[in-house]
Amino acid sequence: MLLVASYIFYAAWDWRFLSILFIIATVDYFCGLKIYESGDERIRNFFLILSITVNLCFLGFFKYFDFFSTNLAAFLGHFSLKIHPLILKIALPLGISFYTFRSMSYTIDVYTGKMKPTRNYLDYALFVAFFPVLLAGPITKASDFLPQIISSRKLNLNSFYEGCYLMFWGLFQKVFIADNLTKIADPLFNSPPPYNGVMILLAIYAFAFQIYCDFAGYSNIARGLSKCMGFDIVVNFNLPYFSTNPKEFWRRWHISLSTWLHDYLFSPIAFSKRGWGKWGVIFALMVTFILCGFWHGAAWTFIIWGAYQGILLATQVLLEPRFKKMPLQKNIFVKKIWFFIKVVFFFHLVCFGWLLFRAQSLTQAYRMTEALICNFKFTNGSEIKFISISLIFYTCILIIIQIFQFLKNDHLFILKTKPALRAAFYVVCFCLLTIFGVSGGKEFIYFQF
Amino acid sequence: MISERLKKIILLELKLDNFDLEDTTQAYQVPGWDSLNHVSILSKIEKAYGVRFKSVEVLRLKNLGDLQDLVNKKIEGHNRG
Repeated sequence: MLLVASYIFYAAWDWRFLSILFIIATVDYFCGLKIYESGDERIRNFFLILSITVNLCFLGFFKYFDFFSTNLAAFLGHFSLKIHPLILKIALPLGISFYTFRSMSYTIDVYTGKMKPTRNYLDYALFVAFFPVLLAGPITKASDFLPQIISSRKLNLNSFYEGCYLMFWGLFQKVFIADNLTKIADPLFNSPPPYNGVMILLAIYAFAFQIYCDFAGYSNIARGLSKCMGFDIVVNFNLPYFSTNPKEFWRRWHISLSTWLHDYLFSPIAFSKRGWGKWGVIFALMVTFILCGFWHGAAWTFIIWGAYQGILLATQVLLEPRFKKMPLQKNIFVKKIWFFIKVVFFFHLVCFGWLLFRAQSLTQAYRMTEALICNFKFTNGSEIKFISISLIFYTCILIIIQIFQFLKNDHLFILKTKPALRAAFYVVCFCLLTIFGVSGGKEFIYFQF
Repeated sequence: MISERLKKIILLELKLDNFDLEDTTQAYQVPGWDSLNHVSILSKIEKAYGVRFKSVEVLRLKNLGDLQDLVNKKIEGHNRG
């Protein structure tokens, strides 16, 4: 039933791409069985490589063909070899980056012996196509999620309430916060130079909260919907803007992707280069994060963003031993101030990454960075004031809720507050949603990935 | 059960004076053991025991009990070979 619902859901966008879901599920289902049943290492390797190749070929063809074709033509142009790039302009199948990664986790987990393959094809097909997570994740790992599909589900009222709250909060994050912030960030990022540094900074702040609320909102809706149906899927965002360093950020931001990359890409590369010591880890980090950037989209801005994240992490690996030698602060007040400074400082490092990520080209990213450094002037005061007030208005509820979530170390603390407070929260959010919510807003950003 | 030798190598690499390491202990439960120093801990174990792990063997590890079993298996293979 859920499988049929998931296929209808996907077909509603474009029924032809159902064939990709079907082929990937079928190939990986058989590869999983063959890997498990064969005692011959060569056969096991063959089926693992077959599974990975099929998934990456679909991903590569639909997502990266035009990028490689254009860049190859441009590269050959440098050597006076003029060729016209073959541009296919094929529509990108929604969620392909997510379901190919999800399906690959299955064959890899079977190969490494972390799980046994399922013999029920329908269970596996549902794991690949489960509609709440189909289009933009979280990238549920086979070893976590497939057992939930196979076993009988336990539905209870508490989970249902939690699910409904998560869906409501996710909808609020998307429709009230993200879609309204789009209206601030988009015009600034779509405008031509010259740029004003203050306006660019505000645009980056707006985008930082827009992309967070857009994606975390979707993840909350997906988690909530799954909870209502008796499934428990991973938390994808754990208050990422409270991070004080790059390591912590990647443990809090898009957790399902960073876990996938860590388990299946970073760890094998770092381990194979263990002879290089710390530099092996740095090499693995750079490769992993450049590919992480490329996973987000076929554009140089994403690749540079990935490399930037890799450099931040590599810097931490190199500097961490020195920081550990520094004496620990004992005064609680000073400790809290120091924590606040670290959060604000690291938030701005993340924001610079968002500038690279959101810019339409590397040239634009350069021009905007230049404006941030050389043209940071409060010239158009009224516009700056209006944008600043809008930013505060759209983000204040999120920030207040998240401060409490962080202090109480509980994402669902709202559900445990007094009924009157809870009612006030729902009424305020509902009013803001209906009065200021953007109807017919933009699709979720991560659908394009 | 985790041998004293293995415990010592891990605690020394993580610069921990004392921490209770059990068969069921997972890396994330040990202070300071993260994905970035995971490789250096495994390298130190390889060097100390004079063995070499394969990537797939490392990917299979779920807890310290698995790591101890892998070390034992490697030492046995080494002695037989």
